Amino acid sequence: MKLIIGGYAQGKLDYAKKKLNVEDKYVFECTLPTKEENEELNPNGDAKIIVSSLHKWIRKRIKEGGRPEEEISSFVKKNQNAIIICDEIGNGIVPMDPFERVYRERTGRILVNLAAEALEVERVVCGIPQKIK
Amino acid sequence: MLTLVYGGSASGKSQIAEDIICKISEGKNKYYIATMKVGDDEENIERVEKHRNQRKDKGFVTIECPHDIENAIKEMTSDKNALLECVSNLVANEMFFGGEIKEMEDTVNKVKDGIKTLAENSDNLVIVTNNVFESGSDYDPTTLSYMEALGRVNRELFNMADEVYEVVVGISMRIK
Repeated sequence: MKLIIGGYAQGKLDYAKKKLNVEDKYVFECTLPTKEENEELNPNGDAKIIVSSLHKWIRKRIKEGGRPEEEISSFVKKNQNAIIICDEIGNGIVPMDPFERVYRERTGRILVNLAAEALEVERVVCGIPQKIK
Repeated sequence: MLTLVYGGSASGKSQIAEDIICKISEGKNKYYIATMKVGDDEENIERVEKHRNQRKDKGFVTIECPHDIENAIKEMTSDKNALLECVSNLVANEMFFGGEIKEMEDTVNKVKDGIKTLAENSDNLVIVTNNVFESGSDYDPTTLSYMEALGRVNRELFNMADEVYEVVVGISMRIK
């Protein structure tokens, strides 16, 4: 699994699609593939599936009362060539709103865990990747 | 030696800072200088508890020092190795909890001088500080003044430090 992080609108998805030559049907925006989609697109478990805007998916799952930590962890176990793309959202003032604080904290921890598992971590700034792992 | 660890919220910077001080102090005494005013806020209590658990088997002696940070040195008796966490709370405490809001410049000088004294009297000091600067500047004047103070303190500390690390998603990168 590869993890790509960076600020908003830094060209993370464009970079990943071009570099890894991924077709649009393998790109999932703010969502994980369903079981059926996963079976269809990734029958052998080696397809390059991109999950983009992971932070938005985390926000959605927290609101829905889901378990984003376990869900993403189980997804990347099944999809070892997956590429996870996420905004860096923790570099601001502590939000006033309690939900925003929880969201920020859980997103940060999920990223630390994904980065620990990832074979490669890249940070994209202005479209330029910096390999940090 | 002075080492600075810089990163955003939930970036894994505490863990990295603990690893650094444990390695430098090589099994000798080490202190954890906590700057957070916990009070009765549940979220803070939980946060402190999480950090305590994380470092419980690492042999730290905790010194609570939410302001006048130079005073922490008085509680360090031998092997003056310390981890100071974190500068963002220290700046907020100096600025907002002294009865009236302190001027930005005065806050910067107070914190900078306090940490300088602490660093000069320590064998090894590792300092955790925060990146709060990358989600725009659409804040009220008081918050902006706080951000300015923290930004300036960070720059002063970067100059003073022997080594500076930026932590992103649990990965540390040496930037000085």
